[in-house]
Amino acid sequence: MMLMTLAIILLPLLAGLVLMVARPHVQARSIALLTSLLCLGLAIAMYAGYDRNSGMLIAYAHDWVPAWGMRIVFGFDGISLLMVLLTAIVFPFIVGAGWKQQLSNPSLVNALILFTQSSLFGVFLAQNAFLFYVFYELALVPVFFLLIYWGGERRRAITLKFFIYTVLGGLTLLFGLVYSYLQLPEPRSADISALQAVTIAPDVQRWLFWVLFIAFAIKMPMFPFHSWQPDTYTMAPLQGTMILGGVMLKMGLYGVVRFVLPIVPDGVAHWRDVVIALSLVGCLYAGWIAFRQRDLKRLVAWSSLSHVGLMCAALFVGNTAGITGSLYQTLAHAIIVVALLYLVGGLKERIGTTELAAMGGLKVKAPRLAALFLLVMLGSIALPLTQGFVGEWLMFNGLLEVSPWWTFLGVISIVLGAIYMLYAYQRSMLGEDRWKMEIADADGIDHWVLVPLIAATFIIGVYPQPVLDLLDAPVQQLLTLINTAH
Amino acid sequence: MVKTDLLAMLVPAFPLVGAIVIASLRGKLKGNTAGILATAMVVLSFLCSGVLFVGHEVVNALHAAGMHQESPPEGAMHVVKLFNWISVGSMHIPFAFQIDALSLTMMLIVTGVGSLIHLYSIGYMHDDKRVNTFFSLLNLFSFAMLMLVMGGNFLVTFIGWEGVGLCSYLLIGFWYTVPAYNYAARKAFVMNRIGDLGFLIALVMIMQQFGTLDYGTVMDKSAGISTGSPWITTVTLLLFVGAIGKSAQLPLFTWLPDAMAGPTPVSALIHAATMVTAGIFLLVRSSSLFVLAPITMDVVLTVGLVTALITATIGVFQNDIKKVLAYSTVSQLGLMFVALGLGAFSSAMFHVTTHAFFKALLFLGAGSVIHALGGEQDIRKMGGLKGVTKITYFTFLMGTLAIAGIPGFSGFFSKDAILMAAYEKHPLLYAATLGVSLLTVFYMFRLLFLTFFGTYRGKAHPHESPRVMTVPLIILAVLSVVGGVLNLPHLLGGHETMKHYLGTAADGIAGEHMHLAPATEWMLMGITVGSIALVIWLAYNRFAKKTTLDPEAEELSFFKRLIARKWYIDELYAALFEKPYGWLSAQLDAIMEKRVIDGAVNFTGNTTLRLGKVLRRVQTGNMSFYLFAMVVGIIGFLLLTIWSA
Amino acid sequence: MNDIVTVIRSVPLEHYVFLSFTLFSIGLAGALFRRNTIIILMCLELMFNSVNLLLAAFSAHHGDPGGQVFVFFIMLVAAAEVTVGLAILVMMKRNVDSIDINQLNRLKW
Repeated sequence: MMLMTLAIILLPLLAGLVLMVARPHVQARSIALLTSLLCLGLAIAMYAGYDRNSGMLIAYAHDWVPAWGMRIVFGFDGISLLMVLLTAIVFPFIVGAGWKQQLSNPSLVNALILFTQSSLFGVFLAQNAFLFYVFYELALVPVFFLLIYWGGERRRAITLKFFIYTVLGGLTLLFGLVYSYLQLPEPRSADISALQAVTIAPDVQRWLFWVLFIAFAIKMPMFPFHSWQPDTYTMAPLQGTMILGGVMLKMGLYGVVRFVLPIVPDGVAHWRDVVIALSLVGCLYAGWIAFRQRDLKRLVAWSSLSHVGLMCAALFVGNTAGITGSLYQTLAHAIIVVALLYLVGGLKERIGTTELAAMGGLKVKAPRLAALFLLVMLGSIALPLTQGFVGEWLMFNGLLEVSPWWTFLGVISIVLGAIYMLYAYQRSMLGEDRWKMEIADADGIDHWVLVPLIAATFIIGVYPQPVLDLLDAPVQQLLTLINTAH
Repeated sequence: MVKTDLLAMLVPAFPLVGAIVIASLRGKLKGNTAGILATAMVVLSFLCSGVLFVGHEVVNALHAAGMHQESPPEGAMHVVKLFNWISVGSMHIPFAFQIDALSLTMMLIVTGVGSLIHLYSIGYMHDDKRVNTFFSLLNLFSFAMLMLVMGGNFLVTFIGWEGVGLCSYLLIGFWYTVPAYNYAARKAFVMNRIGDLGFLIALVMIMQQFGTLDYGTVMDKSAGISTGSPWITTVTLLLFVGAIGKSAQLPLFTWLPDAMAGPTPVSALIHAATMVTAGIFLLVRSSSLFVLAPITMDVVLTVGLVTALITATIGVFQNDIKKVLAYSTVSQLGLMFVALGLGAFSSAMFHVTTHAFFKALLFLGAGSVIHALGGEQDIRKMGGLKGVTKITYFTFLMGTLAIAGIPGFSGFFSKDAILMAAYEKHPLLYAATLGVSLLTVFYMFRLLFLTFFGTYRGKAHPHESPRVMTVPLIILAVLSVVGGVLNLPHLLGGHETMKHYLGTAADGIAGEHMHLAPATEWMLMGITVGSIALVIWLAYNRFAKKTTLDPEAEELSFFKRLIARKWYIDELYAALFEKPYGWLSAQLDAIMEKRVIDGAVNFTGNTTLRLGKVLRRVQTGNMSFYLFAMVVGIIGFLLLTIWSA
Repeated sequence: MNDIVTVIRSVPLEHYVFLSFTLFSIGLAGALFRRNTIIILMCLELMFNSVNLLLAAFSAHHGDPGGQVFVFFIMLVAAAEVTVGLAILVMMKRNVDSIDINQLNRLKW
């Protein structure tokens, strides 16, 4: 187990370094794909070898800066494992999308993707607050280069905005972590488990809550800290958007679960309604705005924003159904966002634009592509028997325990989702054939990427228990932590 | 019992397998293969349902020696649990089917009428290029509808509930190159989703209250809820919102007439016989909750009645053969809701059954006419077809007589039961429902006379449809005629078999009691039959020998135009909801997002920049000044240190 | 060694302070107000040396050799600094053909 845990972090890192030094442009994608598939294998092996009742499994621990409580600790429980699985599942497809997106300097692109993957594994496996912080910020670096070198229009301004936003959040997070760390009695340890047991005065928790939360709120992003997101998603190269929307935003949700909820439970209780209200407002606001987006990629960005709003709201309800649903939904969301973005990329490659107004009638010439789009869309609007439905059902249940009105607001989002997704589908795929040129139907690569993702959506939607079981024990543990603190 | 489990699983499995197989082989299947395969799947499913029904019936009869007993007999409700679907904390939702009288009745309707429509589609869709896709979707619909009716708990029903909505969307927009059809499909789905919103909230509330969604347990536990409590009223109202969406009642009914954009067999199967009755099914399924909420029952009654009246008036002025039938469907569904609101659950289910027969028949007949005329749907351009399309004419006539409620035909019994229940509540209510039925008679006979009587006013060359289409028509015609025996009232020597049968499954039905004197019943029946005859005579005089075309809506008087334009409800919704929705979406993006939120962020950035611009003036580049500033600074710090010490 | 210390001690400490204060002020004034870069460098040296003088005097008077150690440090650093300063000066002369300090404002962005 120890070997696998380290290997899953180091493997993409080393492969990335090899790509960067050797620059095998032709084989770069294949090497990256192989690496990410190996990581997937490792993640599955970790899942298979993990007894879900065994709690936190520390796989590796080594002193780093003992005086400040810093240790290099890697380990995982059900929540971490779910995040690792999510990352591992999604990345092969992100790399696979590279077959269609011919970016210049493929070695570097794939190296950066692998670096991101490595640091994301680090984030989810690190069990020391400062180690977590290092990986949390480290993950930003390769993405920054992906955006600034391979981004679209206005990439400098938008990347700068994104970067300032996240770094600002990161710094407040660091401050919050250091502050919480100093509240611990001597001898201190910055291990997450130790930090979670800290007791902080309730009035301090009220401001410390925002200090800790703001970084994650920006990363998700939660309304009203989201204004970097639509621009960045739209401008970023396809694979960059996939990383941002598919995995990186889950760092925010994961951070809330690991740090905000256990460290400042009184602060959470105090601000709970505000956060839920903001999240749900954001959920509806984004869902509403998505309807009138002219650009399909931007529409996906807004829809992601809408879904994340619901997930964030459900995280704060403080009951089993809500938190489990929210965490479960991270997986569903990752798969759907990557699939949707892949389709957007596929459309761009075929007709050279992602403007909805320029599309229409593609189903005539590309019926298989339209069918795939439809299936992905079903996952996105959370039809029962897709993964999304299970998550949403649990989240609505969790919200109701707080207030029926929250459930009502949340459920409205399913109508908004249907409105904008069906509209987008109609505008892009249906209608009369208006294309003089040949438009290629979905080919082998499209199938290789989309079919597994769609299949996963339906399989886990019909039988979600393996994932739900994984979350059972850690969520109970988290709730005990929160409730004993009161 | 093992055999029952297996059969119950096979019922939805056949159409699902059919849908998947046909969908994956849609590029390879030639000719009628897909159609035959799809039909076979539904027929197999029907056979399984039949075996289940027979087996169940036997169990039932063994336990219930007499017809009248208070509690449902042992074994009347059999739950087939496949696996744990969602199990989190204390929430356990199994993936389960429930086999009881109610689900069996619906299964037989869905698969029975469904197989006939599948068969008919082989002929109707013969020339379509995407016939394989069509059959795959039709099978998928059957699967979803079976999930809906067989669900062992609310959430499994919800799977089917949304599933049929999806299939309906895909089939309405089947000819996807026509923007208007796509719009209609989208409208249907969104309106359904608005209903689903209510349904889903109700489910969450039930889950919270009872800790389970299993029908049996909810039924048992609902006994502990006090009648008319705010909770039960809210939940039942929300469930009813779901039913409104699916069964196209006011205010969400406008999607159903537009849904006629789909191929005619789809209109027959989804938008007449099965899916739209899901709302009634849901209310009967949760009747144990509804009987506890008198306010909700009144709402159901009012909504049903108003919908029935409004849409019946619209039906009179429609000129599209399918639109007439569509409005008729909405109106009939309204009548069923009236029955539900009156607490006459069994009458509603009875009408669901007979309606499935004769409305499917009418739609298929209309399809046959359209087929005969090469796609023409305007009844003003038809006429005189009874000589050419004899079978279609004859079966269509049977359907019309059934829906009109001519004594002896199935519609007579089911509609009469509703009218009786209405009279028992209030004579005015009886008058209103009678009005709806008379309007139905009027527009149905208008349709019949304009289509089949008089002289032909169109240009195409009518021909009778192939046998694969006429055979289902004949079978349905027979069912429409004799369907009434299922629930023959005591008055006419029957035993209300269906009511007693369904009573074993639904609390609401078991608790029904009717107290009308036989003399009153005879009188009411007399009034009904007499007025129907009168209306038919009126319609005959007006339309049967018509040779001229009806005027366009613009030339009518104000009141008639108002009705012909569907009370301007579509326009109203467009102005009230659709346009403001899009407008606000754009405004939110432009003002809230770009100006307020992005504005605040950019303001922070710009302020930093501006501050920088001011401060950079200090950097003159003059070395002496820098040195000077440095010295001043050092002296300042020095003084500060001395001063503070 | 003792003799030198005695000799240094024979002069009152105030005199050293006054002298180095005067030297430092001259140096400071020169550095602030002169435009010739060579003069400015020389003035900087003057300030260094005034401080050195003071350090040495205090060191002798307090009998603590630490101050003298510092003097050596400062001389070392000053030598290095002058090297860099003169190198800049040479480059400046070559590039703009002037050693006016105000010419350096062109280095500003």
